[in-house]
Amino acid sequence: MNRIIKKLLSNTTSLIGLILLFVFILIAVFAPTIAPPLFPDPYQVPRMSWDVEPQPPGFPMADDMRFIYESLGKPITRDKAIFGTAQGGYDIFYGLIWGTRTAFYIGIVTVTLSMLIGIVLGSIAAYFGGWLDEFLMRITDIFLSIPFLVAAMVLTTILGRGLDKVMIALVFFGWMGYARVIRGSILCAKEDAYVMAARALGVKDFNIITRHLLPNTIFPVLVQASMNIGSMVITAAALSFLGVGAPMGYADWGQMVSFARNWIIGSPGKAGEYWYAVFFPGVFIVLFVLAWNLVGDTMRDILDPRLRGEL
Amino acid sequence: MVINNQQKILEVKDLKTYFFTENGIVKAVDGVDFEVYQGETLGLVGESGCGKSVTAFSIVKLLDYPGKTVDGQAFFKGEDLLKKSEKEMRKIRGKEISMIFQEPMTSLNPVFTIGFQITEALEVHYKMNKIKARERAIRLLEKVGIPIPGQRINEYSHQLSGGMRQRAMIAMALACDPVLLIADEPTTSLDVTIQAQILELMKSLLKQFNSSLIMITHDLGVIAEIADRIAVMYAGKIVEYTDTRSIFYSPLHPYTFGLLTSIPRLDMEIEKLESIPGAVPDPLHFPEGCKFHPRCTFATEKCRKQEPVLMEVEEKHLVRCWHFEKVKQEARKIAFTGRLTAGE
Repeated sequence: MNRIIKKLLSNTTSLIGLILLFVFILIAVFAPTIAPPLFPDPYQVPRMSWDVEPQPPGFPMADDMRFIYESLGKPITRDKAIFGTAQGGYDIFYGLIWGTRTAFYIGIVTVTLSMLIGIVLGSIAAYFGGWLDEFLMRITDIFLSIPFLVAAMVLTTILGRGLDKVMIALVFFGWMGYARVIRGSILCAKEDAYVMAARALGVKDFNIITRHLLPNTIFPVLVQASMNIGSMVITAAALSFLGVGAPMGYADWGQMVSFARNWIIGSPGKAGEYWYAVFFPGVFIVLFVLAWNLVGDTMRDILDPRLRGEL
Repeated sequence: MVINNQQKILEVKDLKTYFFTENGIVKAVDGVDFEVYQGETLGLVGESGCGKSVTAFSIVKLLDYPGKTVDGQAFFKGEDLLKKSEKEMRKIRGKEISMIFQEPMTSLNPVFTIGFQITEALEVHYKMNKIKARERAIRLLEKVGIPIPGQRINEYSHQLSGGMRQRAMIAMALACDPVLLIADEPTTSLDVTIQAQILELMKSLLKQFNSSLIMITHDLGVIAEIADRIAVMYAGKIVEYTDTRSIFYSPLHPYTFGLLTSIPRLDMEIEKLESIPGAVPDPLHFPEGCKFHPRCTFATEKCRKQEPVLMEVEEKHLVRCWHFEKVKQEARKIAFTGRLTAGE
């Protein structure tokens, strides 16, 4: 374990990834201080004005808005939108800061759940083999043959709008990779003599899988999971962008980008006039995904026995 | 040496284990009978692929697909193991019958300490708590001759030498005082001096625990060292079955005879070391008649057509050969003297 941490810290790329990740964690933890909420529900992004079109960075809070927030009883500590406002006067800065929490939440929860499903199905298939393996793997194949984004979109549409619905859809169509990876490594590891030795000691199948096989086979899955956290966030953002994600005004990066949907090209004669509406949310998403990919990459380098020269 | 009036621990009757492969049915074990008495060591000897390991795995029902035991009984303490459910077998494995494997390098899980793996058996079968199990594990490690067991118990398998690992495996196997131990080539991957140590250790532990042992090996030197009785297997069947002394002094089967003449000897001047011509037959296409006849120097027309049965031709000496008399004479001519007298 110490070796892993040392390696993570000694490598420049992984260090960049770790620092980025650390910054995001800080943002998520200190969101209430960085951007104090104005609504009782902190995930509700405050609006700076009623303007339809986005407003540039530094845009001050409109008086009628100030009146509303004052009547809600929350102190107004920031009355300027530093990153500008999105369509409808939503404060981009606030949405991004609180959206960091949403991003972590979406990424970690969906990846953990789909990883669990994948591990359970994959290890059962590999360990017991035979028709059960055949059955479970064909189901996996069927799921893999469905285009992920389209399937997730359809399912979210059926379930209805909302972040939890998005996450259900992501988990439902996102576990196959883990199942395949864990099946592969268990198929390989179960031929090892220690598995036979454990069986000959009378250890239960469940304990053989959880105590003997998984500790020896789980690392490739963990690497894959850490890389997937980023892509899960992207997919969730894509769904939000397409309008099936988080409810209106919810602090979510995808939502922030989707607010910019109509303003990407700018207005006639002024291309890129509303650059800030796309740029800032885009930067957050890109850096977040990059951070996870860099960390995942280094984890793979460290944990892959072929790359660390043990085989 | 032959134990007559002791209790039968295991009685295997007409065991048949086939592998149902894509190319056809492989009769890996085809009608094997033997018994093991309390406190004795039975050696299962034969070349690779003769079915000796499959026999052992069939008894404890650890065979994987596509292997299947199609017929036979294995009475252990009067109950047929082959009729037991997986759940019942799990209670027997490790507690009443435990196994030692060939590869001490891989038989220990690399991610756990050896202590964890020894205590696992105790936790599974005796529901012992961690502290008690640990104490017992330390005592076991001491018994199998591992120095500083209190420290070794926290080490991982890669920190131990091959001999130490095999000792740890033996400690694991003995953790629950098994009645029967099955050792599948336990010394094959060790070097000769360590082999001798491990065999000595196993002998003394068997006496201490009063356990029986089925020793599977292709090494006649090892078997001479430890076995009381020997079953020689060839192509899925027992071809000769008697006490160790008789096997080495008066072999009656040409295969046993061939194996013995292919051992280098120090006490006789032999110019050329004999070997058995040919190789183990393809299990998908066993020859007709006696399965050994293509490689046998005694073979006649009868051998090609009719397979001999396992007959008791001398007292407690069973052989599957039409020409055992000739083999006996031949063996006497060469006179196996002095060496290879087991367990005396």
